[in-house]
Amino acid sequence: MDTYLKHLSESVLAEDKVVDFRLLSQSLQVPVNTAKQMLYEFHRSQNAKRPGSVHATYLIYGVKHNSNSQNGADEEMPDAGSVTDVVPVFDLCLVTEEKLRDVLAEFEEVKTIHVYSVASRPTKDMALLADVAHEVSSNDKKVLSNIVNPNVRTRERKGPGLKASIASTPAFKQQPKAASKVKEDPKPAEETKPAIKTEKTEKTTSSAPAKKPAPAKSSGIMAAFSKAASLPKKEPKKSASPAVTETNTPALSDEDDDEEEMPQPKPRAKPDFKTLKQREEGLRRMMEGDDEEEAPASERAESPEEPEPEPMEVEEEAPDPVKEEKEVVETTSNGRRRGKRRIMRKKQIMDEQGYLVTIQEPGWESFSEDEAPPPPKVVKTTSSASSTQAKKGAAKGQGNIMSFFSKKA
Amino acid sequence: MVKLEDIAGLGLLQAPSGKPSEALTRSSSSYRSLDTFALPKERRYQQQFADIYFLRLTKIKPAVEQIAHEAWEETVLGGENAKKVERVLDVRQGELCWVAGTVFMDMPLKPSILEDVSKDRWISAPTSVDHYYSEDGRDQVMLEDDSGRIRLVGEPLKDYFLVTGCIIAVMGTENANGEFEVIDLKFADLPPQPPRWALSDKKIKSEDVSMSDPDTPSKKIAIVSGLEFSGTSTAYTTELSLLLSYLLGDSLDPATQSQEQSKISRLIIAGNSIAESASSDPHSNNPSTKTHTKKYGYDASSYNPLPSQLFDSFLSTLLPTMSITLLPGANDPANVSYPQQPIHSAMFPQSRLYGPTPTHPDEPGWLDATTNPSESEIDGWRVLGTSGQNLDDICKYMDSPDRLGLMEAMCRWRCSAPTAPDTLWSYPFQDDEPFVMKECPHLYFVGSQPEFNTKVIEGPEGQMVRLVLVPKFSETKEVVLVDTETLEVSKVRIGTRS
Repeated sequence: MDTYLKHLSESVLAEDKVVDFRLLSQSLQVPVNTAKQMLYEFHRSQNAKRPGSVHATYLIYGVKHNSNSQNGADEEMPDAGSVTDVVPVFDLCLVTEEKLRDVLAEFEEVKTIHVYSVASRPTKDMALLADVAHEVSSNDKKVLSNIVNPNVRTRERKGPGLKASIASTPAFKQQPKAASKVKEDPKPAEETKPAIKTEKTEKTTSSAPAKKPAPAKSSGIMAAFSKAASLPKKEPKKSASPAVTETNTPALSDEDDDEEEMPQPKPRAKPDFKTLKQREEGLRRMMEGDDEEEAPASERAESPEEPEPEPMEVEEEAPDPVKEEKEVVETTSNGRRRGKRRIMRKKQIMDEQGYLVTIQEPGWESFSEDEAPPPPKVVKTTSSASSTQAKKGAAKGQGNIMSFFSKKA
Repeated sequence: MVKLEDIAGLGLLQAPSGKPSEALTRSSSSYRSLDTFALPKERRYQQQFADIYFLRLTKIKPAVEQIAHEAWEETVLGGENAKKVERVLDVRQGELCWVAGTVFMDMPLKPSILEDVSKDRWISAPTSVDHYYSEDGRDQVMLEDDSGRIRLVGEPLKDYFLVTGCIIAVMGTENANGEFEVIDLKFADLPPQPPRWALSDKKIKSEDVSMSDPDTPSKKIAIVSGLEFSGTSTAYTTELSLLLSYLLGDSLDPATQSQEQSKISRLIIAGNSIAESASSDPHSNNPSTKTHTKKYGYDASSYNPLPSQLFDSFLSTLLPTMSITLLPGANDPANVSYPQQPIHSAMFPQSRLYGPTPTHPDEPGWLDATTNPSESEIDGWRVLGTSGQNLDDICKYMDSPDRLGLMEAMCRWRCSAPTAPDTLWSYPFQDDEPFVMKECPHLYFVGSQPEFNTKVIEGPEGQMVRLVLVPKFSETKEVVLVDTETLEVSKVRIGTRS
């Protein structure tokens, strides 16, 4: 008795399993087409011995009667312009042994029929066969398909998916022994196929060590890190450049405060710090000038220093990207400044095509100190002038309320 | 009529002969994936949608105007010559003129962002309305461009499919009510069609031609849609496994395998590979547990990985023998808005081995996860395919939609997703409008359709487009095969009988 018959009677009759041709091909490592014939032979020989002991399902492929009727119905469409093509329809039908005669009658032409599965009892639920198919796909062994594709490509980089397939393919490579168990001449087809397969596995395995996935991956990680590293680097620079140029944006001036409150080991903080100090001094003086309008002459005496901070102010406001502000102080009378500052005005005009276009236009705006003291400047002077003011305050012996707060801070 | 006796002893219905069956090599096809619908990695959503309409109008308007010009140049009605008007707002009452613009359908049932804003509804869920048209005829057709809008009336409107976003030219006059009485209407019609092998270099071309000529049973591609792998339903799992063994070439006999199955060089999966999740059900059933299981971020218990595992195993079984193009669909794990971006390879732990090589991003992977819509060149033919959302959305504008006719209309409008961004969610494009068909495809398929249908349409310059409606596999169990030499279509119906 052939080994395959023994195998089939074991699993079908003894273990009460449903066996389809792919499962058989997989477990015996025979080509799928041979497996179909084995199923047929098993079914025939068993039923010859004991009728009704084995039940089969058949897969029919062919053309059914009136299979184009569906398309014929489309021609009744109201739109006369859309005449649809009549296309050949092929039917692939899985049918139980019991219904085979009925279903065959529906066919006009049967191209192929073969045994799909055998079981010890009639297959009531076709979903059982799906379970068998699932069993096949969850198994590591290969089904010996008849069609191979030499063009198949895989990516070089290795993921966990590849490891699984490498693990499975060598397992399959050792299978030819299992195949030779079946009493059949070794088939050239079988030989060529494993050859191709091994070639494939060789390719994959050989490329596996050569590839080094880790560096590639780590380079990505490193890139991410370096990116992350470059980010903080960039940030201080960003905050630095406003510090050098001393923008007037409130948010950034806050940052300046932070720098002062928490001294950070920044080499370039030094020059900034100095200019900042100078500026603060100037500003503070200005403020004081504001505060003490009827101030004594002693206060005035300091005024010669004023021109020094003033140009700085012009500089400090220049680089503001959004609302460019440039001040030209025309008069500095009575400690109160009047002048013009440069601003960007938004203007909507109609262009020649009739579209509204918003443009930014530089312009001058006149101001005077009491009317529009740029608020961020005030914030800066009050909150960030800690050290200078502390010193000054001590020298003067006059407690400044701000110095009191900043000392605590 | 085939009788049982006829088939006895046929082919494989005999004992194993021991005869060696020859190994077959699957046909290969040249394949190029075009990144027409790829979005930039860093996407911004701050910009307005109006740019899409503007870009579409500027792209299609010249073609429409040329056609309209040719058609209406000599038109004289009531002693008046039809003259061209540049902008919609320039239409003067009583003057016979023609103008091109974008169609806007004003439909009460259509979801409207203005209405949502005015009613303070900010939850954006995909619309659940199954149609936009209203039976009582409250729908209005407008023509608009960047200058303004005018209402269109007249009989010719009923003869054509019109949806929001398509570009048309209309001829007629403005009546006393300020409406435009349409006398005639023109589309851009099919865009210029590139010759076959337009994107491949000549060497491959000649090689392929000489190779394919002797082969009489020529190569095919299989298109399937709506596989809907499900974690709960087993209604069509048998058919799925039959489909798999059919595509693998395991089933059927050596003759069929060599003549038919081995000729299928590529499988295109046009969307909806994974069934719509029923994850909302457990939450609605017992709200008490919902409050308990409230977690931050990812909740593993609400996610059923089985469908994607099944799909992955399907793909990885098939991939060793067949290359696959995978389009995301409405239910797939991809972004919702058009154009959908490729399903991430992390969804396929087994199949991603066949994905594109990161070092060669230009070469499409053996498993090519593409965008939806996707454009490619298969064996020299330009192929445009979608997973069906574009057509489904257009169908909501129609009472009894002729889906094939609408597909044709999309080609003639030169727009593969005219209703984006109005009713079809879309990325707010600013620099390019990829839905405009710049070049006419040879094969245009739309997936996830209720039933299969196909036809060939012709353009004025001899363009030929094969249109294919790909049915949902989960409902029809049908696979479409397209011949890559003749673009002839056939289909395979898979069934069971017990």
